[in-house]
Amino acid sequence: MLMSGAEISPPLDARLLSVLVCPVTKGPLTYDATTNELISPQARLAFPVRDGIPVMLPEEARHLEG
Amino acid sequence: MSDVLHECPPGQGEDQVPPPSRSALDAEAVKVAYRRWAGVYDTVFGGISGVGRRRAVEAVNALSGRNVLEVGVGTGLALPFYTQDKCITGIDLSGDMLARARERVQKEHLTNVDGLLEMDAEETSFADASFDIAVAMFVASVVPHPRKLLRELKRVVRPGGHILFVNHFLAPTGVRGAVERGMARASRSLGWHPDFAMESLLPPEDLARACIQPVPPLGLFTLVTLDRI
Repeated sequence: MLMSGAEISPPLDARLLSVLVCPVTKGPLTYDATTNELISPQARLAFPVRDGIPVMLPEEARHLEG
Repeated sequence: MSDVLHECPPGQGEDQVPPPSRSALDAEAVKVAYRRWAGVYDTVFGGISGVGRRRAVEAVNALSGRNVLEVGVGTGLALPFYTQDKCITGIDLSGDMLARARERVQKEHLTNVDGLLEMDAEETSFADASFDIAVAMFVASVVPHPRKLLRELKRVVRPGGHILFVNHFLAPTGVRGAVERGMARASRSLGWHPDFAMESLLPPEDLARACIQPVPPLGLFTLVTLDRI
């Protein structure tokens, strides 16, 4: 659970994670525990999770190389 | 894009909706306004809106369905009022407000909050039919495109589910109407539109079937419940 305290991976409720999609492509997301980001492979974007709050805004996302 | 988003035939899209005396509020203006408000929001706005919030959550609690999306969750003022059988996901455009909501969830041990996420209510990151219920409190009048918000909520709520709005809607005539039109001039710094008409949110077919209830005691706010067909 997101609210249960320290960094737990993934930092989201399992059901919530299962319905979360990329805001740009509406395609699937995967959680990267090492960078604490939600990755949209199709959009080549990494959405940060700050203090347990995923920031699902394209303008705040990191562009993935390659 | 889902099928729902295509319900609106060409020529009747967002651009064709007459802007009924609304001054434009872009997303950045909203974010800036709420960043300014975050510290004092609960005292200033929480008091006035508390009744409307409570009424909306009561209505949600009375509905069947477990997974609830609260749009514009803000500092989480409404979160303590949900019953334990509801699982709440809260979204907001303001990270500053969400940080306060997170503190509230931890402080009050609100175990039925599944997550808090920063996202655009008009373009969310949820798959189609992700929720049983969506509730938007005092949001419809601050988003840039209310009809787009409605389409997005129809997309993420499953058929047979429910979409609820509690808002202040424009009193069309009389003294209150005149005061509100005056206040509209200040809406950019205020972050919300006192002159917001229900027609800006609901197209005629939805307006005709929606359940519209004034929130007592003053009737300043209105609760709108729309079944997702």
